[in-house]
Amino acid sequence: MDTVISNCIYLGKGLIFTLELTMGSIAVGLALGVFLSVLRHCRICVSLVRGWSSIIRGTPLILQLSIIYFSIPNLIGVRMNILSAGIIAFGLNSSAYVAEILRSGIESLPKGQFEAARTLGIPTFYMWRDIILPQVAMNILPTLVNEVIALLKETTLISIIGGMDIMRRSQIVAAEQFEYFMPLCIAGVYYYCLAMLIEFIGEKIERKVAYAKNS
Amino acid sequence: MNEKWPMLKIHNASKSFNGVEVLNNVSLEVAKSDVLGLAGPSGSGKSTLLRCIQQLEILDGGSMECDGKIGFMFQDFQLFPHLTVLQNLLYALNLGEKNARRRQSNEMQAKIMLKNLGIEAKASMYPYSLSGGQKQRVALARSLMVDPDVLLCDEPTSGLDVATTMDVVLLLKSACETGVTMIIASHDLDFLTKISNRIVLLRDGKIVLDVDVKQCQDPVNHLKKYYAD
Repeated sequence: MDTVISNCIYLGKGLIFTLELTMGSIAVGLALGVFLSVLRHCRICVSLVRGWSSIIRGTPLILQLSIIYFSIPNLIGVRMNILSAGIIAFGLNSSAYVAEILRSGIESLPKGQFEAARTLGIPTFYMWRDIILPQVAMNILPTLVNEVIALLKETTLISIIGGMDIMRRSQIVAAEQFEYFMPLCIAGVYYYCLAMLIEFIGEKIERKVAYAKNS
Repeated sequence: MNEKWPMLKIHNASKSFNGVEVLNNVSLEVAKSDVLGLAGPSGSGKSTLLRCIQQLEILDGGSMECDGKIGFMFQDFQLFPHLTVLQNLLYALNLGEKNARRRQSNEMQAKIMLKNLGIEAKASMYPYSLSGGQKQRVALARSLMVDPDVLLCDEPTSGLDVATTMDVVLLLKSACETGVTMIIASHDLDFLTKISNRIVLLRDGKIVLDVDVKQCQDPVNHLKKYYAD
């Protein structure tokens, strides 16, 4: 029993790392994703955004992570800590997917909403910030929650650059104790609880913004 | 200003979509405080003409000149669903307005307008909870809030029952009394003759008839003849 508790505590420390990594990455992914999707509506930038999405979605995440952690410091001569490299890599990767989710959300809005904003003389920045994006956010919330959960699970890749997340710690415990089942089960429970927490928060927000669901 | 001063001048306006000509050299002048009805069958170019006036579409040829601010009332209302009725009315007006007193007076004005339209009780409700007629009123109130000189209405009675249509007639008539110039596109000739003082009939993107409603004995039947030909 003591072993179980001490393993839970040891893996629990990885939980904080996983949470930091996921939250940091989704913050970067969302901010950049929103920026990219708005930029897509600017004629000059369309190809740039498409190219970015294509490269990010067309290459493995593990490769992107390796480039950011191993290659870029080599090129610019500055070392990055594991958490920062992870947040940048997962955030950039997520931004392409968030931008695509947002694109579908924006395209599903009636064209008249843009036109109504224009006829009322609402400047472009405010139109996006106060009229378009709040409606899009409401429509894409379930898909966005899926993306966050997927990102949470993808963060397990951080172990390849030595990040001490839940997964990495469970492997260390397994190697030390020659016992795989228990540490992996604890890791599974932690990940499942985190995923359920994200889903719960998503549902809460969804219920709060459900005012326009019938319109 | 002279009452008959042209508020809007359209000269040889033409517009086509994918090679299909929707407006074909349309020329029109609308005097200040005029209520102009745009009649015509579906696809005759009524909505496109309104959209070109509002610059939601760019003309392929010709020119338009408008001597004032334009307001637009959409056929499908296009209220902002995530804002309450009051917020829908106030958002554009309060944008960048830092003066608290002016914001307060805008709110008062919006509430008075809602009261005049009989929907003051709906001020804090979201658009999805309103009926078609109520949405129409909010849409009208929103377009009037920005104090337009010319109000363009695209099919304001489509999808409304007879009683609500009558309400819309009264609403638009009360808006006319404020001196705003109106251009109303509709295929409902009865409605147009009740509200307009002049009706222009469009067919295949061309003006085929221009009727002064008061001078014409039976404008509805007169217009119907041109529909059928």
